[in-house]
Formats: sequence, structure tokens, C-alpha cells
Amino acid sequence: MNSAISLVEIFPLPSLSLAEMISLWPLIILSITAVVAIVAGASKVVARGRMLAMIISLFGVAVSTTITYISLSYDPVNLLNGTLFFDSTSRLLSLVVHLCTILAILVNFGYDEKEELLAEVYGLLPIALAGMIFMIATNHLLFMFVSLEIMSLAIYVMVAMRRTFKFSAEAGLKYFILGGLASAFLLYGSALVYGATGSFNMEVISQSFVRGISPLFYVGLLFVLTGLFFKVGAFPFHSWIPDVYQGATTSITGFMGAAVKLTAFMALTKVCLNMIFVPSFLEVDIFKFVIGTIAAATIVYGNFVALKQNELKRMLAYSTIAHTGYLLLGLLSLNGTPTNAQFIMIYLVLYAFSNIGIFALIVMLERKGERDIVIEELGGFWLKHPLMAISMTIFLLSMAGIPLTSGFIGKYLLFAAAVSSQQVALVVLAVLASVVSVYYYLRVIIAMFMKEAPKGQAMLTASKWAGCGITVLVSIFITIQMGIFPII
Amino acid sequence: MTENSSSLLSWIIFTPLLFGILLLCLPKKFEQYFRHLALVAGMANLLFAIKLWSNFDGAISTMQFVQSIPWIPKLGISYLLGVDGISLPLVMLTAIITPIAILGTWPHDLSKLKQEKFFVLMVLALQTGMYGTFLASDIFLFYFFWEIVLIPMFFLIGIWGGAERIYATIKFFLYTMVGSLLMLVAIWWMIYRYKQGFGVPSASFADLARVQYNFVDESWMKAIFSEQGLLFLAFTLAFVIKVPMVPFHTWLPDAHVQAPTLGSVFLAAVLLKLGTYGLMRISMPMFPEAAYYFSMMMMGFGVIGVVYGAFCAWGQSDFKKLVAYSSVSHMGYILVGLFSFNQVAIAGSLYQMINHGISSAGLFMVVGFLYERLHTRNLDDFGNIAKVAPLMAIGFMILTLSSVALPGTNGFVGEFTILFGTFQAQPAVALIAGLGVIFGAIYALKAYQRVMFGPLTNDHNKNVVDLSVREFLAMGVLAIFIFGIGFFPGSFFGKSDTTLSVYSQQLIEKVIHE
Repeated sequence: MNSAISLVEIFPLPSLSLAEMISLWPLIILSITAVVAIVAGASKVVARGRMLAMIISLFGVAVSTTITYISLSYDPVNLLNGTLFFDSTSRLLSLVVHLCTILAILVNFGYDEKEELLAEVYGLLPIALAGMIFMIATNHLLFMFVSLEIMSLAIYVMVAMRRTFKFSAEAGLKYFILGGLASAFLLYGSALVYGATGSFNMEVISQSFVRGISPLFYVGLLFVLTGLFFKVGAFPFHSWIPDVYQGATTSITGFMGAAVKLTAFMALTKVCLNMIFVPSFLEVDIFKFVIGTIAAATIVYGNFVALKQNELKRMLAYSTIAHTGYLLLGLLSLNGTPTNAQFIMIYLVLYAFSNIGIFALIVMLERKGERDIVIEELGGFWLKHPLMAISMTIFLLSMAGIPLTSGFIGKYLLFAAAVSSQQVALVVLAVLASVVSVYYYLRVIIAMFMKEAPKGQAMLTASKWAGCGITVLVSIFITIQMGIFPII
Repeated sequence: MTENSSSLLSWIIFTPLLFGILLLCLPKKFEQYFRHLALVAGMANLLFAIKLWSNFDGAISTMQFVQSIPWIPKLGISYLLGVDGISLPLVMLTAIITPIAILGTWPHDLSKLKQEKFFVLMVLALQTGMYGTFLASDIFLFYFFWEIVLIPMFFLIGIWGGAERIYATIKFFLYTMVGSLLMLVAIWWMIYRYKQGFGVPSASFADLARVQYNFVDESWMKAIFSEQGLLFLAFTLAFVIKVPMVPFHTWLPDAHVQAPTLGSVFLAAVLLKLGTYGLMRISMPMFPEAAYYFSMMMMGFGVIGVVYGAFCAWGQSDFKKLVAYSSVSHMGYILVGLFSFNQVAIAGSLYQMINHGISSAGLFMVVGFLYERLHTRNLDDFGNIAKVAPLMAIGFMILTLSSVALPGTNGFVGEFTILFGTFQAQPAVALIAGLGVIFGAIYALKAYQRVMFGPLTNDHNKNVVDLSVREFLAMGVLAIFIFGIGFFPGSFFGKSDTTLSVYSQQLIEKVIHE
């Protein structure tokens, strides 16, 4: 009895309530899943280790998804003095990234064999997911850095994993080096912010403006922003995106464009909400100007460069830069009305599913080997694979923001919020630039529906993998359902 | 308002879509019957439209058959439908033109169908979009349908069009997108302003019209950059691109020439009217001061369109392009009439929308008949066709007379009313626009003469088959409407009188303060 008391004295374990437990369980399950999946994949015991790893990974993530879903009805939980904060918003977002991960695992199924992916991909996906959940839940700059690293390290490996494609390793290395630099910016910035405010916790930082703030803070904030701008792919820090999107394992590209972008952008939103758009922060106009300029540059750059791309993946990479620009514009609407953050979230979630869906389609189309799909090669695709052509059209129209699709609702909400916070000029720029985007999205649709197949070339043949099919169906369902009867 | 709540308007909008779903379930071996299905869908809608027409109360100026279902309540968006004297004739026009157009463009050779299922599906989707735009009473819903119209048209031109179809369809799509996205920004601003002023969000036309938008009319610059000026210009740009108003008309000849005949007919008869309907429904009543301030400019563009369109039509050797430019010319009258801010002319503009819908649909069908038989649209290749195809010649004659606004045809009713009203408000504008009627006669009669009479230069023309029964039926119905409206305009437009007079009185009261 005595020993028991002394143990508690030495290790003062906090007693966890059910709500706290249920918020942490997904992280624990995912970590275990990752380890087991990697071991199972590497083992020679079973003949098809890859298959086993996939099943374990799918099962683990599914369990974790279920728990996250159950946790939606529980009270908000504040762990480690506000370091981890699970409320309905972060739980909902975490549910969305869970879904994205499940879809990404499904997309890999079949593709992994063709591209000779290692079984580790099924261990790395849960690790990345765990990092994302951390990142969504945390309000702490240091934790943000750590979770960003957990997520990114897993992604770096997965990007470089497509061994049949010679640019894959290059893409992975490029992403790794530039990503490392960005992380360094984030870390250094956090340190400076800590020096200026005495805290890593953003809630505390947001209250420190009242006392006046040292100039060190501005430098720190700019560094933090730089790190995050890199991760979301905003204009001057975008250069990795096209190469990585093109070179990466395609099943992972979709995951990156969806989940990684969502997570990184939520971190950026949190930084903006707590460290920039605070009523007592006097220099808010400078940062508004910085974000506005970067948003405008990103929108214009992304859209106009995408116009000149011939390869499908590369075009989508530039278009994702443009979407980052729209979202940055949405950040400006946080000024004075923090509730507008929900519109950024909705946009991200809706975009995530269109993105996963379209990359699942590309996975089905891709040939093994060096070349990427050129848009012209899609000629006559509609006649050969009508269902896939229509799916692709739906996703493209969604990205272009045409009604009946979720992309329209997302854009509508995001820009309406921006207009109501007086950003009319930037919104006009954004919508005009999105006319440009309509053109390059239409190019793909035109190639599929209105052009003949290019002569002297074997036509693209689609592999009919069940995993990809399910992913596409789920994404289409969400895209159409949210486009017509949006739940907001 | 809630007493006569009904789902009739929803039936009108979604019947084509229901048939579309039915079509999707049919296997490909029934391919040659897909047009029949489209025709049945059109007829079903016509029945609904006739029911609407007969139950419509002409003595009420507000929205009737209102149906309201909350859609996205958080943003004040609802599924709100309604019909009044302005939208009623346009709905009727769509309902009448649809079966006629399907009959009149029936393919002669059913073995050469190209992706028939998709084609018919697009035609049905197009109808849903058109009805929806005319019947929406919520600005979000309006925009929703407005954009949806684009997609089927994009495919209709792009897949079944002529040699330059891809260029034409992209041009059509992008032109419209530029306008409609700027309109969307204006919509966001209006909804924001309403919420700011009244506390609750709403997107219905009636609510948004209650907001007072600032307008400064001290100078051109200040007028343009005032709140109301910018909103007016954003909406008006979107609408005049669709009308199309010179200088934003260049997509039209391309789209028309490349589109398949059925697409051209819908484009000319209904899609162009979406633009003028938008002007009438949103631009003018919601931003009356700005509309009045810019009215001379808009009338100027309208007159330029009338004359320029006529001259361009005169110079064409491509028959379809000639008809396309004649649309530019005829639509110019509507702009003149609307922005004259005269009660008679505004009514005339609505008449002209219907009349142009009927006559241009017919003219494009004639182009289609000839193209189907001779595979050319060049005026030089035709000649003396009246001799071998007298029925076609008679049909074309009636349409030409309607197009040149001969008294006794529907064209006269529209253009005369517009010119008469405009003359009271702006005599100079009316004079120049009146000249357009003469130019109109020149090109229309030139086309008729070159096609139907003239020397027989092309041997193929000897074997031109006259109108088939279906084509004759389509032409006959059009002729009935042409003369019916020409002689008894009151019985066709009577139900719109109350709405129109209340509409123009309110509009004129708001802007003229003498």
C-alpha cells in the first residue's frame, strides 16, 4: 500500500476522464498500427506481406476513425495545459483526415504492386495521420513543429517511394531539403516568438499584445508564417510543389493535396487567428498587407502557369497553388470575424475530396515507367471509359467552382466571407483569375470529350482497381452531395 | 403569398431532368427512340406550362405559384420559385419552342447518330437550367441555374458542332464566365449588405431590393465607382454578354455557326433571353438610379447593336452567320426599349423577347433544313430552291416577314411598341433605331432572294427535298404564333399587362422625381 502511494508521488499521473481518453486513443492506436504494419510488411513469414500490411493499416485507421467519430459527441477536452485541445471542430477535421487516409490506403491497393512500392507505405500513412491529428489539435508552437515533422518525415519517404519513376527520388529529396528549411524557419520563428512573449502557447500569446510587444515578435511571426507558407505552397515558397506533385507516388500526391494541405492550412489559420487578427494587435495592417499580397501573387501565378502545362499532374500541381491563393485570401476574412474560419475549413474539406478523387483516377490511368499523362493523350477517353470521363469531369468542374459541385459551394462561402470583410478588390482579382482556371480545367474535359485519340499511340488504358473505384465513388458522392445540399 | 403555394413550378423545372434519369436507364439499342423521349419530355412540360398559363392570374402583379423551401438557411438561401407577368411569357416561350425545335431538327438519317444518349441528356439538362433561371426568385438559385445552362451548351457545341467547334465552345464558356463571376461578386456584396442592414441573411429578390445602395451622380467617375454603380455594372456586364450587346457579341457568331442546329435554336430563342430577363429582373429594379444614369449609354450601345448587327448580317455570305448577326440586331431593340424608361417601350421589350425567340428559332431551323439537305451554309451555293421546295419557301417567307417586322406578324408588335415608346422618351434614339428596321429588311430580303430565288448555279439544288411532315409541323406551329401574335397580341400578352404596368410605374417613380 505504501509503495503504491509513493509511486503516484514519484510519477504524478493525471487521471484521465473518459472524454480525454477517447480523444487520445486514436493517436495510440495509430502508432501501434504503424509499427505492426511495418513489421508485418517486412516479415517473410507471410507470402504477401504487403497485403497483410494493408489490411492491418486499414483496420487500425478504421478503428481510429470510429473512435474519432464517437468522440464527436463528447465534451471539449484540454490536455497538458492547453497544448492539445480537442473540441468538435478539431475532432471533425481529424475525422476528415482519417477519411482521407482510408481513401489513400485504398488507392494504394493494386497500385503498390504495379509501382513496386514497399509495404512500409502502409505504416507511414498512419504515422502521417497521427502527426496530422496532433497538428490539428495543438495550440502550442513547439508541438506544432513536432507534429509537422512527424507528418512530413513520413510524407518525404512516401514521395520518394515510387521506384519505377526516375523523378521520384529527386522529388523526395527536393521536398526533404526544402521542407527541412521551412521547418527550421518555423522552429526559429517559434523561438523568437517565445523570446518576445514568454510563451509557446498561442492562446497565451494572443493575450500578450495588451502589454505591448517587442519587435522581436514581428520577426518571429514572419518566420513562422514563412514556414507555414512553404508547407501550404504559397507563391514565393511554392517551387517544390510542381516537382513533388509530378515526381511523387501518385497515390500519395492526392493524399498530400488533400490531407497535408488541410492540416498545414489549419495550422496557418490558427496562427493567424491567435497571433495576427487579434483586436489588441496594432500592426495588423502590415500583416494583412503581406498576406493579401502573397494571396494575390499566388492566385495569379498558380493560374497563369497552370495554363501552360501539358502534363496532367503538373497542371493540377499549379492549380493547387492557385487554390492555396484563394484560401490565403480567405484568411483575410478572419480580421474581426474569427467565425469565418469555418469557411476556410469547409473549403479545405471539400477541396480535399475532389483532389483525392481526381488523383485516384490518375492512379488508375497511369502507366508504369517514365512518362506522365499528357492532356492530349486523353483524347477519345470519353468513348472508351465513359464513367471515368464523367467522374473526372465532375472533379474538374468542382475545382473550377461550377455549380452542382462542392467546389462551387466552397468558393461561394470563402469569397462571400472575404467580400463581407471588404476584400472586394482581391476577390475580383481572384474570380477573374479563376476564369483562367476554368480554361485549363476545360482543356482536360475538351480533350476527353471532344478530341480524337492521338494517332500512332496506344490509348490510355485504365486499370480497374476496386480500391481506386471506391475512392472515386466516395469522392463523387461527397462532391455532388455537398454541391447540392451543403451541410454547413 | 402562401395560399397559392404549389409545386407546379418545380415540376416544370425538373420534369426534363426526370426524363433524363429515365434516359440513363435505357440501353443503347433503343438509340433511335431517344429523340422521341426528348419530345415526350418537351410535350409533358408544355402541358405543365399550359396549366400554369391557364391558372395564372393576370390581375396580380406579384409572384404567383410561389414555392419556398429553406435550402442553406445559415446564408439565407432558399429554394424560392415564383412566376409573374415577366417570367410567364418566357417560360411559355421555352415550353413551346422545345418540342418545335426537337421536331424541326429531327435527324434524317437515324443510322448516323453520334452519341445520341449524351446529346438528348444535354438537351434535357439545358431545359432544366433555362426554366430554373426564369423561375428562380432567389438570387443564389438564379445564379445556380444561370451557370448550369452553360455546361450542356458547352457540350452541345463542343461535341456535335462544326469544324471550329472547340474554339467556339471555349469562347462561349469563358465569355459568359467572366461576366457571371463578376456578377457573383456583386451577389456576395448584396447579400452582405442585406445582412448588415437587416440583421438576418437573405438572398431573395424581394428582400435584396429593399436595400438602399448608395449612388452618387455628380460625375461619371463617381457614378461608376459608387456602390450602386459598381453593382449595376457588374450585373449588367454579365447580362449584356449573354444578350449579346455590341461590343461583347463576338462569341455569338462563332457559337451559332459551330453549334448543331438544335443548339442554335435554343441559344437564339431562349438563352439570349436570359440576358435581357436578367436586366429586367435584377439590373433595373434593384439599381434604378444607376440604371437611369447609365440609360443613355445602354441605349447607345443598343442602337449601335441594331445598326451594326444589321450591317454585319448584310455582309455575310454564311447563311447561319447572317441569322446570328440578325440576332445581335434584334436584341439591340430590347436594350433600347428597356433603358428608355418608358412604360410602353418596356412592355415592347418583353414582347420583342418572345417574338425574336419565335422568329430566330424558325430561321435557324431553316438554316438547319438546308444544311441537312445540301451540307453547305454558303449563300452562293443556294439558289432557286423555291422551285423545288415550295413549302420551305413559304415557311421561310413567313419567318422573313416576321423578322423584318411586317405589320400583321409578331415582329411588328415588338419593334413597333419599342420604337413608339422610345420615341416618347428619346426621339433621336428611336429615329436611329427605326433606321435599323430598314437595314433589317435589306439583309433579310437579300438572304431570302439569294436562297430561294436567283439563278440555279448548283446542280445539287435540283434535288432538294421539300419539308418532311415533322418539319412542316414545326414550321406550321411557328407560323400560327407569328400571325397569332401579329393580329391578336392582346390575347398572348394580356396576362403580363398588370405586372408590366406596375413594374414600370415603380421603376419610373424611383428615378424620375419631377
